[in-house]
Amino acid sequence: MRNISGESFEVRLEEDNRTVFFKGALRLSGMEDYAPILEMLKGTLMNPGAPIVFDLRELDFLNSSGITMFSRFVIEARERADVSLQFLASESIPWQSRSLKNLQRLMPSLEICLD
Amino acid sequence: MMAPDRILGDYGNSNERCEYLTLAFSPLSVPLRTRWRNNGLSADFLGDYVTTFLPAASETASAGKHQAEIRHAVTYIANELLENAMKYHAHEVDIPIRLRLELADDRITVSATNGAVAGQAEHYRTFVERIAPENAGDLLVRQLEDTAAGNGSAESCLGLLTMMNDYGAKLGWRFEQHGAHPGVTMVTTRAILPLKDRCGERA
Repeated sequence: MRNISGESFEVRLEEDNRTVFFKGALRLSGMEDYAPILEMLKGTLMNPGAPIVFDLRELDFLNSSGITMFSRFVIEARERADVSLQFLASESIPWQSRSLKNLQRLMPSLEICLD
Repeated sequence: MMAPDRILGDYGNSNERCEYLTLAFSPLSVPLRTRWRNNGLSADFLGDYVTTFLPAASETASAGKHQAEIRHAVTYIANELLENAMKYHAHEVDIPIRLRLELADDRITVSATNGAVAGQAEHYRTFVERIAPENAGDLLVRQLEDTAAGNGSAESCLGLLTMMNDYGAKLGWRFEQHGAHPGVTMVTTRAILPLKDRCGERA
């Protein structure tokens, strides 16, 4: 398990190396600050064939730099034919129903499961 | 040279008779990195503040959902506007950054004003002139592709496009030359959230 956390957030890569759990409010100041998280996410692309799951159901807030981080990851993932990607989201968290669909436009096979 | 006093987009008018709240930050008081935490606190505060003026969440389930949606939209927009204002403010001059919230029956307006050096303001103006409500969605996807390819300058503009495309905000901009600092342009970005349902839900 690997963990990156700050005052308002936690990002945790589970032992299976393909499930990432996000919690809190991610409002870091730019791509430089998001780089360690993005590198951790890219680590999931090392397991060909296994679906990658991002559990966002406790991520209450994401700023536009965070959206940029996810779009960078999605664009890298879509280049790989063997990668399938699933986002677990919650309808009760407004940004998720509003903004995740933009990532789906980048990668149509991206599956978004809304609770 | 920047042409003074230009207004672009859906800028609208300030209504001094409506409820409003203005926060001002002095850029010289603490470093940007220390200040960053305050952006989130200020944005959360504005989001919480508007809920006082909306139908109570306890009235109906739809009122609760509506309140949560508006609260989040205001928080997201205030956070993005403040982040941009902090990043692109002319740091060497003591001009405060202002964040303003206006509440009217039919809309909520969030705006941020900062001083920018003329070149920075011109760069921003060139970008916003390309934005129109009808192309925000396509422009947003293009910006996501650009920023993913490492074009860092596009990053801050992504916030504007998400406000329009994902939150239905109407955006407007004002560029004014600063009276005491001729090399500084005062840039105001204003986001208007229409509140069509507010009266209906209350009735």
